[in-house]
Amino acid sequence: MFPIAHFLYLGAFLFSAGLVIVIVKKNMIMVLLGIELMLNASNLNLVTFNQLYPDSIQGQMFALFVIIVAVSEAAVGLAIVIKVYHYYQTSVPDEINELKD
Amino acid sequence: MNIASFMFYFFEFAAASSAFALIFIRNVFYGALLLIICLLALAGIYVLAFAEFIAVAQILVYAGGILVVIIFGIMLTTKISGKPLVVEHMYELSGTLAGLSLLALLIYVISRETSFAERAVYQQQYDSVNRIGIDLMSEFVMPFEIGGILLLIALIGAAVTASTIKSK
Amino acid sequence: MAATPSYDTAVFMACAFSALFLPLFSFAVSLLISEKYSWLVTFTSPFLLLLSTLAAGVVLYSTWNQQPFTMTWNWFTVAGSTFAVGVFLNNISALMLLVVTLISFLVNSYSAGYMAGDPDLKRYFGMLGFFTFSMLGIVIADNLLLVFVFWELVGFSSFMLIGHWKEKSKAADAAKRAFIFNRVGDVGFLIGLMILWAHAESFNLITLSTSSEALSWKTAASLCIFCGVIGKSAQFPLFSWLPDAMEGPTPVSALIHAATMVAAGVFLLARVYFLFTPFALDFVALTGCITALLGAFAALAQNDIKKILAYSTISQLGFMVLAAGAGAPEAAMLHLVTHAFFKACLFLAAGAVIHALHQAQNQSHFPFDAQDIRHLGGLRKKLPFTFFVFIVSGSALSGLPFFSGFLSKDAILASLMVWKGTGFSWRWLIFGSAFVVSFTTVLYTFRLIWSVFQGEEKSTAHLSITEPPLSMRVPMTVLAIASLWIIVSPNPFDFSGWIYGGLRSNSEYLHISAISIASASWVLLALAFAYLIKGRTIRSSMLLNAFYVNSIYKIVVERPLFQLAEITARTDKKLIDGILHTAAYAQLIIANVAGWFDRAMIDGVVDDAAILAKGVGSFTRSFQGGKIQLYIFWAIFAVIIFIIWTLL
Repeated sequence: MFPIAHFLYLGAFLFSAGLVIVIVKKNMIMVLLGIELMLNASNLNLVTFNQLYPDSIQGQMFALFVIIVAVSEAAVGLAIVIKVYHYYQTSVPDEINELKD
Repeated sequence: MNIASFMFYFFEFAAASSAFALIFIRNVFYGALLLIICLLALAGIYVLAFAEFIAVAQILVYAGGILVVIIFGIMLTTKISGKPLVVEHMYELSGTLAGLSLLALLIYVISRETSFAERAVYQQQYDSVNRIGIDLMSEFVMPFEIGGILLLIALIGAAVTASTIKSK
Repeated sequence: MAATPSYDTAVFMACAFSALFLPLFSFAVSLLISEKYSWLVTFTSPFLLLLSTLAAGVVLYSTWNQQPFTMTWNWFTVAGSTFAVGVFLNNISALMLLVVTLISFLVNSYSAGYMAGDPDLKRYFGMLGFFTFSMLGIVIADNLLLVFVFWELVGFSSFMLIGHWKEKSKAADAAKRAFIFNRVGDVGFLIGLMILWAHAESFNLITLSTSSEALSWKTAASLCIFCGVIGKSAQFPLFSWLPDAMEGPTPVSALIHAATMVAAGVFLLARVYFLFTPFALDFVALTGCITALLGAFAALAQNDIKKILAYSTISQLGFMVLAAGAGAPEAAMLHLVTHAFFKACLFLAAGAVIHALHQAQNQSHFPFDAQDIRHLGGLRKKLPFTFFVFIVSGSALSGLPFFSGFLSKDAILASLMVWKGTGFSWRWLIFGSAFVVSFTTVLYTFRLIWSVFQGEEKSTAHLSITEPPLSMRVPMTVLAIASLWIIVSPNPFDFSGWIYGGLRSNSEYLHISAISIASASWVLLALAFAYLIKGRTIRSSMLLNAFYVNSIYKIVVERPLFQLAEITARTDKKLIDGILHTAAYAQLIIANVAGWFDRAMIDGVVDDAAILAKGVGSFTRSFQGGKIQLYIFWAIFAVIIFIIWTLL
């Protein structure tokens, strides 16, 4: 119905935008938003490619499970953000460098 | 241009522009609102891509669930600090470089791939909601149950992690 | 002498070694005790010395008139020659052992009172113990090498004790002077030892004494050893350190510079008497005579109470050396023993006077030199006990009848009488001068006692002067009793009593009544004369400065030495420094070149390597910054590169 490539371009753009947000933003919640954006880009691709196979539903099912996982991820991630905020009094991931050697 | 294609490009534009604005927005709260716009637009695109159930789930779960949680998170973290909700940027150069190069790469790959562009996209032969319901209970029952357990565990885990009561 | 020892060897050895090592133990205790409890040493040291004295008493009782006790161990072996350490106890050394430990004990307990409040009690008592140990080492050692070792240790502890008040520059100088003078004599001693070893191949006293033939090397060796005696016993010409040594604490003067250390020379003379050839003995006698005269006259003009006693000590030591040179070492030893008691007593009494005056001075803040007899006078009423002790010991020094000094002097005079022979020779002169010394001794002793205790009352007499404490009075009492004739023999006019009999190796010299009578009347005459000229002082700067011996040293030794030093210094500056400077400049240039090479080449390479390593490190480290977003960036970056790679 609509050109597949247009869906894909949007997905590519959304993914890139999400990546930029994840890298650039100094706030952890914004980083989470970027991750959600990237997940949605992948969901979009799954749904899009599902159109190519009208007889199967696997793509949509996969997107559904991605949503489920994204929900869990968002919940746990936000819980961690709040905990980290309590602990370090900051939501800037750059200031938390416990992973440093 | 029929109404459907207008709707499609409108949603595409809305999603792309809100995502683009999200890169530059400095306020977390506005960022969350922009994300809602983006997600709702995506839900519209899902509908146009014959995935009604996913679209509904998108609206319910993302717009109704995740975003609410995110806004709660914003409120909780900013309430304690009392600082303005301004988000600073860093690694602008590296971020832009990575994003642009990835975008360029993907666009190049997509534009080079012409096979699916020629393939016709047909109207689906079935009702997707109905089909998903049957499949979830038959073919995908195992992942479905595991997904439920995952959600439960995430719920408990999030509650335990965020709680301020110390475990004995 | 008995053929077999009649004593229990084990007990005897235990006593001998406890007598020897208890003072060393006292030294160790004094050093190790903590600063907080330093007052304890005033109890431990006299106590340990008392034990040592008792042990020495047992030793003396066991060995007296018995077979000499010997015992040797191998010390070390060098080039096939074995050196031994050992103990050789005969009458002389056993007697000396008791005298040293007894006086050391008395002086230790006296010091407990005299030195009370001194900040450095630990060092003081420690060195007293160490001195006693070294002295006993000299006494009981069976070979000359060991004697030499202890001889040096004695010199060292004497140095430490003279300079006890090291903050006083005079005391420090005196300590140095005493040490250096002793060194001069010890050089002779050392050369003597070398001669002995070269010819006799042994240092052992017993081995040496068996070869009796008179040889020229023996003359040389004995004269060289006598050099050591001259230094240690303050004989002419190395006597001037002894008056200076009076800068030390008075008990030290009593112990070291009157009773024991300076007597070590005389003891050594008696110990190695068999080495001395007739010529060497004549030399010894002459030296002793000169010293005796010199000391006696110098004592007449001194004003310092301790210096009078010091010159008197020199004179008496000369007397002993004279006796030894005259072939009567037993008479010398007898005089040594009696002199040790009465001179220690005199010093302690003088110390009591000084102590009392010092305390009075501290209370009244009235500055004067407490040792200068010109400031003293009329102290008899204030210090009756000290006066009494002074009288007793002074009488013994003067050689009044019924005192020990009379008997020992009698012994010397008798031996001189025999020695001078019948025909007139230079020995008559020496015999005569012995009487002169005896006369002078009475004069200066009387002058000392009179000006301190009798005479007109000076301003100092009006200060609140009190008798010294009990811990000082008891040793003085003991020594005063020991100054009576009873210590020598039961007959107050016959010196051949219990001590002399044990010391005598032959029966050549016997009591000569004429000498006793002459001596007694001579002394009484001197006393009468002294009373007549009482209160008068010979103001002779020559006598005051002891015949300018020090000045002569200055001119003869010091000035050429300084000139030599200056010349060598100048050559050093001009010649050697020049060479050194040239060498230094050359070295500097080489060093600069090497330094440039080092900086530019070696350091450059190293630095570059370091910079490279640092760059690599910081580059790799930048991936590991702990920043999550950078991790993501790098991961994506790698993925993109990987995708591009696959696409191309």
